[in-house]
Amino acid sequence: MRPESLSDLQLDAIRELGNIGAGHAATALAQITGRPVGVEVPEVRLVPVVEVPQVLGGAETLVGAVFARLYGNVEGSVLFVGGREALLGLVDLLHNRPVGSTKSLGSAEESIIAQTGFVLITAYLTAIGRLTDLTVLPSKPMFAFDMTGAVLDSVAAEVGMKADTAVLVKTAFATEEERIDAVVLYMPDPDSLEVMLGKLGVV
Amino acid sequence: MLNDATEGPVTGGEPHVVMVTTGEVAVAEHPQVLLTPALGSCVGVAVWDAAKRRGALAHVMLPSPQNALADGNPDRFATVALPKMVDMLAQGGGLRRYVAKIAGGAAMFKGDTAMASIGDRNVEEVKRQLALLRIPVLAEDTGGSHARTMEFHLDTGLVIVRSYLYGIREL
Repeated sequence: MRPESLSDLQLDAIRELGNIGAGHAATALAQITGRPVGVEVPEVRLVPVVEVPQVLGGAETLVGAVFARLYGNVEGSVLFVGGREALLGLVDLLHNRPVGSTKSLGSAEESIIAQTGFVLITAYLTAIGRLTDLTVLPSKPMFAFDMTGAVLDSVAAEVGMKADTAVLVKTAFATEEERIDAVVLYMPDPDSLEVMLGKLGVV
Repeated sequence: MLNDATEGPVTGGEPHVVMVTTGEVAVAEHPQVLLTPALGSCVGVAVWDAAKRRGALAHVMLPSPQNALADGNPDRFATVALPKMVDMLAQGGGLRRYVAKIAGGAAMFKGDTAMASIGDRNVEEVKRQLALLRIPVLAEDTGGSHARTMEFHLDTGLVIVRSYLYGIREL
């Protein structure tokens, strides 16, 4: 399904799914950290997969990404992406430390980010599953930290170019002290988006 | 001499740089420089004609069309892109005495074996295609789990591979 073929009503439905998913993710993050976490979803839009690196700041920009394949009634893949500073901030938040304490991403930090990214992805999926009455299960999470273009091309190769359109959900998690900007990308396999929109009654 | 030298878009900043994005093939001639950014599991293939100081660069994404369900740009497959880039280079005339250098084929995501093998399979197929075309591989920087940007200078055949992990490597 191409972005231009969606009606305004369908785009609104997708935006609402993004909002509700982000809300659940914030609740999950608040439960992990024991602190209130606010959430903002400044933008939900559909982007061709090939243009995603540009949206994220260029092919050679450094990002960390948590990737999972989706199985169940709706198939596809989902990617949680954050810039270096945002991910370091996320580690600080989870350790209850002031922002800027974590300076480098070692294997311990990578593990924390991968697990947290996965929890957030699962929170999104649970929200979408409840709303649409569909079963969506993620695979084991995988982590990468490198150039945006390389990370996304590897994902595109893995999904065999089945997905041409990504639902891009910009999300900002905010506590009293800090703000973490991240992006959740949902790349549905063909027909999966139609299945979801059908369940919401906006085909 | 400069006929069909510029294939693909040229970046705005530096007019002599020819950008090759994912799944593309381009031919250029000195003083132009071929550049492909952010190779992950993809493989960058540089084929050089020393006598004419011309070269071709491909950014290969998958081994063959059997690896993808959907249609799309066929140049992203090694089995299509490699014969094509050599044909494009041969249109410049001269003896077909080419040499190749390759980079990329990493496993970007840790913890998954199916995904890790895509890079390896890309490298394997690229080498097989180069052997079929009787083009020797002079140097390679492949495998690992880091992204690479590849720059191909056509006067000396120098390939510069940049990465965040290792900085600059010359092939």
